[in-house]
Amino acid sequence: MPKDQFKTRLEIAKNKILKKSKVSKDSPSSKLGIAFKISTEMVAAVVVGTIIGFILDNWFGTKPWLILIFFFVGVVAGILNVFRSAKSIQNK
Amino acid sequence: MATNPMHQFNVYRIGPEIKIGEIDISFTNASLFMVLSSLAILVLFNIGTKRNYLIPNKIQLLAELSYSFISKMISDTAGSKAKPYFAFIFSLFMFVLFCNMFGMIPYSFTVTSHIIVTFMLASFIFIGVTIIGFIKHGVGYLKLFVPSGVPIVLLPLIVVIEVISYLSRPVSLSVRLFANMMAGHTMMKVFGGFVISLGIVGGWLPLSFSVALTGLEILVAFLQAYVFAILTCIYLNDALNLHH
Repeated sequence: MPKDQFKTRLEIAKNKILKKSKVSKDSPSSKLGIAFKISTEMVAAVVVGTIIGFILDNWFGTKPWLILIFFFVGVVAGILNVFRSAKSIQNK
Repeated sequence: MATNPMHQFNVYRIGPEIKIGEIDISFTNASLFMVLSSLAILVLFNIGTKRNYLIPNKIQLLAELSYSFISKMISDTAGSKAKPYFAFIFSLFMFVLFCNMFGMIPYSFTVTSHIIVTFMLASFIFIGVTIIGFIKHGVGYLKLFVPSGVPIVLLPLIVVIEVISYLSRPVSLSVRLFANMMAGHTMMKVFGGFVISLGIVGGWLPLSFSVALTGLEILVAFLQAYVFAILTCIYLNDALNLHH
């Protein structure tokens, strides 16, 4: 008898955890968190791209060209980052 | 000097000058506030977990609430595989939160308003997560940079973009925290300066603004610590579960 009781209680507890994890996904604070994430994502990628271009330029001595190319690649990476963050909101 | 809104961010030495070779490792006001916030966390959790009452008192409630908050956040964003990293993420969140909150006390110093502090934290996370990824998946972790279903002609360009996007993580993580804290504190100082310069006649409007801003800053202080921790979880999730 106590074994049965335990099983039903375990079942109830498991269901509770399942329910909780479903509800908590769209809490307002995590959405606000993702909104904050998007705001700097774009800038960071552009900065990193430009810095990589600058370093490579100094290495190979191709002064203005790599920094220009990597600036635009950085912009593309930034847009990709923003796109991904926005998509992760949509999936929730 | 006191009316300069950036004056609050000055780092100055407290006590004697200590040098190892060329490196200056003297104790500064920034170090003081880091020590203070770490001590505050230690004291809070020592008192909070000393006696486990069935009906918790206020401090125990605070400790338990923050524990379950972070635990839920990790299991929501990174799954059960991330449980072993709970201690790290919890102390990270607490440290950032307490540094931010200590900065809200008048005449105190905000450690997280300096980019070198936040960048150090972020690059530590970045390197750690990368190492975890390579340990868990070996060379297969590099698959993160190669999305499936890309034509072979575009592959070199896509890989470069993915690498930049990956490298931009610590930058965006640190810049977000630093910029939010610095902008908020500068704005508060500027409005405080308006109160003084407008005097008793016109100073009431900026004063009410200042009060509202203080509330906003407390929200931002909590939210930025939360964002910092949740993004660490998201990066950890990428490293542990490897899917894009």
